Amino acid sequence: MSVTSFSLAPLPLSRRDILIGGAACGAGLLLPSLAGAQTKLIIPEGNVAPLPIAIPDFVGGTPSDGEVGVGVTQVITNNLRRSGLFAPIDQAAFIEKIVNIDAAPQFQSWKTINAQALVTGRMTRQGDGRLKAEFRLWDVAAGQQLIGQQYFTSPEYWRRIAHIISDQIYERLTGDKGYFDSRVVFVDETGSKERRVKRLAMMDQDGANVRYLTRGSDLVLTPRFSPSTQEITYMEFGQGDPRVYLFNIETGQREIVGNFPGMSFAPRFSPDGQRVIMSLQQGGNSNLFVMDLRSKSTTRLTDTPAIDTSPSYSPDGTRICFESDRGGKPQIYVMAATGGPAQRISFSKDDANGSYSTPVWSPRGDYIAFTKQGGGQFSIGIMKPDGSGERILTSGFHNEGPTFAPNGRVLMFFRDPGGNSGPSLFTVDISGRNELRVPTPGFASDPAWSPLLS
Amino acid sequence: MKVDKTLIASVALHVLVIGWGLVSFSARSLEAPPPESMPVDIISAEQLSKITAGIKTGQKENPKPLVEKVADARPAEDAVGKITEKKEIVTASAPEPPPKPVEKPVEKKPEPPKPVAENKPKDEPKPIEKKPDPPKVDPIAEALKSEEAKKPVPKHEAKATPPPPPKPKQERTFDQSKIAALLDKRDPTRQAITGAALNSSASLGTTRGTAATLSQSELDAMRARLASLWNVQPGVEHPEELYVTVRIRLNPDRRLAGPPQVISTGSSPRYQAAAEAAVRAVLQGQPYTMLRDETYEQWKYMDIDFDPKQMFRS
Repeated sequence: MSVTSFSLAPLPLSRRDILIGGAACGAGLLLPSLAGAQTKLIIPEGNVAPLPIAIPDFVGGTPSDGEVGVGVTQVITNNLRRSGLFAPIDQAAFIEKIVNIDAAPQFQSWKTINAQALVTGRMTRQGDGRLKAEFRLWDVAAGQQLIGQQYFTSPEYWRRIAHIISDQIYERLTGDKGYFDSRVVFVDETGSKERRVKRLAMMDQDGANVRYLTRGSDLVLTPRFSPSTQEITYMEFGQGDPRVYLFNIETGQREIVGNFPGMSFAPRFSPDGQRVIMSLQQGGNSNLFVMDLRSKSTTRLTDTPAIDTSPSYSPDGTRICFESDRGGKPQIYVMAATGGPAQRISFSKDDANGSYSTPVWSPRGDYIAFTKQGGGQFSIGIMKPDGSGERILTSGFHNEGPTFAPNGRVLMFFRDPGGNSGPSLFTVDISGRNELRVPTPGFASDPAWSPLLS
Repeated sequence: MKVDKTLIASVALHVLVIGWGLVSFSARSLEAPPPESMPVDIISAEQLSKITAGIKTGQKENPKPLVEKVADARPAEDAVGKITEKKEIVTASAPEPPPKPVEKPVEKKPEPPKPVAENKPKDEPKPIEKKPDPPKVDPIAEALKSEEAKKPVPKHEAKATPPPPPKPKQERTFDQSKIAALLDKRDPTRQAITGAALNSSASLGTTRGTAATLSQSELDAMRARLASLWNVQPGVEHPEELYVTVRIRLNPDRRLAGPPQVISTGSSPRYQAAAEAAVRAVLQGQPYTMLRDETYEQWKYMDIDFDPKQMFRS
C-alpha cells in the first residue's frame, strides 16, 4: 500500500493576531536588554497527568465520508488514551462543533473544557477513488497550529492513516517517536489445555486486523520481526527437532534457516536485517551462533559448557545481550557482537536465588527488558545495559517474554493466570504506571513488536 | 425699535455657555465590566503597618514614614517606647553586689565596711568609692536599689538617715507595701526607627511602604497556580534534561505583555515538547490575580524555572 503525505499550510491568521504577533516580536527583542533584576520563580513540581486533548470527529468532505471520519477519530482517541500520556476529553463536553477545519477554531471554547491540544480533521473521498485525510493539531493555550498534514491512500487503509496521525500527534506533543503505526506478531492459542492449537498471527498494535500466518498443525514459538517488517523468524516443532524458520509475510513462503544437527531456537534478526542470531543445541548445552542470510555462513559466538540462549542485539549492532546459566542460574550477560568475553549484568538484590531470562534490548538502546524469576513470582522489568537502575514494571504468577514498542517507551508481554485459563497479551509503559490488556481473539502468547511501518 | 444691547449680549453668552456645556458634558455610557474574583489575604495589624510603614497614631496627610535614625530601612514594631541603644543582656548569675550592705549597716551602724567584708570581701572598696559599680550589673537589681544606692554614702559618715525597714538576714519575706520596689522602674525602650532620611512626624502609612516586596504568599500562590497548570508527562525519562526557563513580562493588569520567551536552550524534540508545556502553563495562568499592585516593579519581569527532576527521583 502507499500513503502519500503533504503538509498543510498554516491557516492565515486574522489581522489582529498578526498585529499582536508583531508587538510580541518587538517585546521579545526588548526583553533581554531589560533583564537582570527580575524575580526568579522556581516551579519544582507539576501536574503529572496525561495531557487533556480534544479530538472531535473528523469532518466528512462529502456526506458519505462521515462514517470513516468517525472511525478515524475513534482509532486516534483509543491510541492516545492507551499510551497513558493523553487524556482524550469526552466529546459530550465539547462546546464548539467543528464543521470547517480550514477556519481557526474558537480557542476560548476549548480552553473552557481544559483542553490543552485540539485535533481537527477531514476525510474526503477523491474522484479517483482514493481517500484524502487532512488533520491539524492545535495548541489551545497559544492559539497556534502545531501540525497540519494531509495524506492520500486507498480507502481500506483508513486505520493506518489513523495510526500515522496518532504518531504525528504523539511525537509533536511528547517529543518522543510514536509507535502506533506498527504491528505485533504473536502466537494465537485456541482449544483446551491438552489439545492447544498454536498458530502464528499478526495484528495492528491496537489489536485490530488479526491475520493468521500458519495453520496450526505444527507448534510455533518465539516469532520475531525483521527490521524491514516483511519477514518473521520463529521456531517451529516440525517432525523432527525444533528448527528456526523464516517466513515472508507478503508471499507466505517459509524456509529453514541453516541446516544444523540438533535443535536451533531463540532466533532474532540483527538490526540491519542481514543476519539471524540464534541458539544451537550441542549435547546438553547450547551456544550462540550468527548466520548471514545471504552467504549462509555461520559464525560461533560462544563456546561454553552451559546453556546460552535468547540473544538480542543492541540497536547499533555492536553488542549482544543474552541469557546464560554458566554461573549456575540463568542470568543476563552482555558481550561484543563478534563474541569474546561476556559480562554478567543481572544481580538480584532482593532475592539471592533470583534468575533472569529473555533479555531484549530497547530500540532506543537505553534499557534491556527481562523476565525475572524469584520468590514464586515472574516479573517483567528493565535495567540499563550496564546492569544498573533495575526497575520491576509488573509482577505476578506468570509474566514472560517482553518486547519493546518501536519507540522503546512501552513493553508488551504475555501473562498466564494459570489454571484452565490461557495466556493473554498486555502492554506496560517503562514507568510501570500504565498496564493494559491488548484485545486478542483468543489466548495469545509470545508477542513481538514490529518496527514502525513507515 | 431699540434693542437692548445688554440683552443681546446676555442671550449670546447664554447660548455660548449652554452650547459649550452640551458638547462638553455629553452623556457617557456607563461601563460595567464583569466583576473579577479577588484574592483575599487576612493580615494582622502589625503586618499592615510593616507593609505601609505606618503608625496608628500618625497623621493621615503625612506621606513619609517615621524615621528617627538614618540607616537601612526598618519599620517600627511598636512606636510607643523610648529609644535606646541595644544593651548587653546580663543574666542573673552575674556577681551580686550591693543589696547586703544596705541591710548590714542597720544592725551594726558604727562599722559598715566590716559586715560587708564578712559577707563578701570583694565588696570592701565599695564604701569608699560607691559610684564605680561593677561594670556588669543585673539591670533589674540595679533599678531596684537605684535610689538607695545613693544613700549609703551619707549613711556611711553621718549615720543619720534611717535605712529602709530592716530585713532578717538571708530570709526573704514578702512585704506587700514594697511591691512597688520590685517593679522594673525603667522606661519602656525600643530601637530607633530607621530610614533613609530623618522624619520626625509619624504617618498612618503610605501605599509604598518598606514592605513593598513580593511576599512569600504571593510567590507561593503564583507557584501553586503554575504547578497546577504545568502538565508533566507521566514516566518521562531523563527529566534533568528538561529544565525550562520561561521569561515573561507582565502588564499591571497581571496579564502577559507578550508571548512568554523560553530562554533556556535545548534542541531535542523532547525538550521542545517540555518547553511548550511550560509556555502553555504560563499562558493559561494569566491573569495572575495574586500579585499586588505595590509590588509591580518586582513582578513586571519574571523568570520562571520549570524543573521536573525532583518529581522523578527514583
